Amino acid sequence: MSATTASPLAGHGLHGPAKDARVARQLSVRRARRDRVVRILCVVATVIGLIFLASILATLLWRGLGGLSLTVFTTSTLPPGSNGGLLNAIIGSLIQTLLGAVIGTPIGLLVGTYLAEYSRGSALGNAIRFVSDVLLSAPSILIGLFIYQLMVAPFGGFSGIAGCVALAVIVIPIVVRTTEDMLRLIPVSLREAAVALGTPQWKVIVMICYRAAKDGIVTGILLAVARVAGETAPLLFTSLGNLNWSLSLTKPMASLPVTIYQYAGSAFEDWVQLAWVGALLITVGVLAINIIARVALRGGK
Amino acid sequence: MSVTTEQTASFGGVQARAATAMNAPRIAIRNLDFYYGSNRALKSINLDFPDRQVTGMIGPSGCGKSTLLRVLNRMYDLYPGQRATGEVMMDGTNLIDPGIDLNMLRARIGMVFQKPTPFPMTIYENIAFGVKLHEKLSRSAMDERVEWSLTRAALWGEVKDRLHSSAMGLSGGQQQRLCIARTIAVRPEVILFDEPTSALDPISTLKIEELIDELKHEFTIAIVTHNMQQAARCADQVAFFYLGEMVEVAPAAQIFTAPREKRTQEYVTGRFG
Repeated sequence: MSATTASPLAGHGLHGPAKDARVARQLSVRRARRDRVVRILCVVATVIGLIFLASILATLLWRGLGGLSLTVFTTSTLPPGSNGGLLNAIIGSLIQTLLGAVIGTPIGLLVGTYLAEYSRGSALGNAIRFVSDVLLSAPSILIGLFIYQLMVAPFGGFSGIAGCVALAVIVIPIVVRTTEDMLRLIPVSLREAAVALGTPQWKVIVMICYRAAKDGIVTGILLAVARVAGETAPLLFTSLGNLNWSLSLTKPMASLPVTIYQYAGSAFEDWVQLAWVGALLITVGVLAINIIARVALRGGK
Repeated sequence: MSVTTEQTASFGGVQARAATAMNAPRIAIRNLDFYYGSNRALKSINLDFPDRQVTGMIGPSGCGKSTLLRVLNRMYDLYPGQRATGEVMMDGTNLIDPGIDLNMLRARIGMVFQKPTPFPMTIYENIAFGVKLHEKLSRSAMDERVEWSLTRAALWGEVKDRLHSSAMGLSGGQQQRLCIARTIAVRPEVILFDEPTSALDPISTLKIEELIDELKHEFTIAIVTHNMQQAARCADQVAFFYLGEMVEVAPAAQIFTAPREKRTQEYVTGRFG
């Protein structure tokens, strides 16, 4: 093409519209400035969050470590001034958390599997997903009251098993959500490959999909355990707390969060000290579970 | 297979397979229509897949060739709203009959996909998984079957020392050969290849093509490919699809050098698609 004055491209060069280098530079400078502002805001927000977290952890360590001794793990809660420990609360928390997870996890797994694998687009599936999501964000004290009506009031007494069920109700929606999300992440090509070998649907789910989604599902379960390990409200109306040593699921059962709740507000210095120790134990326990969950997730990649 | 003429035709620098006589059909498709919802994706298809020979299917994207493949093993049954009408006859049974046992059908008609899809388990378990669905084998018989299928898939030498490590650690080309081994371990009669080399490098592609050449002595093979040289190298007969119709089917040498239809000629010479 020749650059005659009659050319419709005159003024644009031969290769279409020209680029204005000055405008491009201005835009670039403005972009760089905005980038810097946003980056500074992000850093400031992160630092503020971390300061609170660090301050909580530091206070816990400072106050908790001081009261940590062997008697905390070997002695049950005792009246003020008699050098009691937290043994019954620790064991009670372990029992209720584990039993809650054992009851809630299979139900959550099955519901999540149904939602991801069988209910595609059905009205029932959408309704279940909605209810599960509501449950996920329901105040935990409501769950405690619900189980109180169901399992405490009719039987005339607080019980450890009621506490387990209340925690299970919290576990279920968490496991439902992670199971469904993880199963949905599995590529269609993997399912089709299994189906193409003549694999029945249930075997595709159990032998291929669960295996492929294992890390994510296990992480979800561990995070659910971590969440319920620190729950206080649902236990207040169900297992109540027990200042004596008891392993009976039909009697009131002690737990760390409830003991902290009772001790932290008391007037006795040694009880307050034990509350700090209990808080430290829960925090370290939850932290450990979170780290395990993350390592498990990374190990699979 | 009997060779009737010794002539080879040159196509794009590639020697297309010599014209061969077609064996009796293993699968015969008559008046097949396929619908995605109300969209008619395959229009009155008639096509034979000759026994123990390779049928290549070519055509531009969206022409229906993969759809046809997924009719043969009823993969479309996974998705509500997809349906087929017509006849896909194999041993006197219509494969698209709603009453047939899909898992048995898929044991007879295996499929290898575009992307390698190893299962998240060991190499050995990947092979044994499919076999266990359809047969009860002793430990030693299973070992034999695993070795047999890996050998047939030209992978045995590379993995025999790490059968019990994860299949996810294999390279892309090895994973695809593992998928082929997994498919033939079930001892199907027909193997469907859906663009099996489009995600692989040239060396791996070559290996898979050589493998297909080997496998056709035992299996009836259908391969969908975007690569016309590949069709010329691998296939005994080639079917050209366009806009849901099967325009032409002919021996490979003929379709690339002397196609009957103008649309086929325009496609194979690269004028569109």
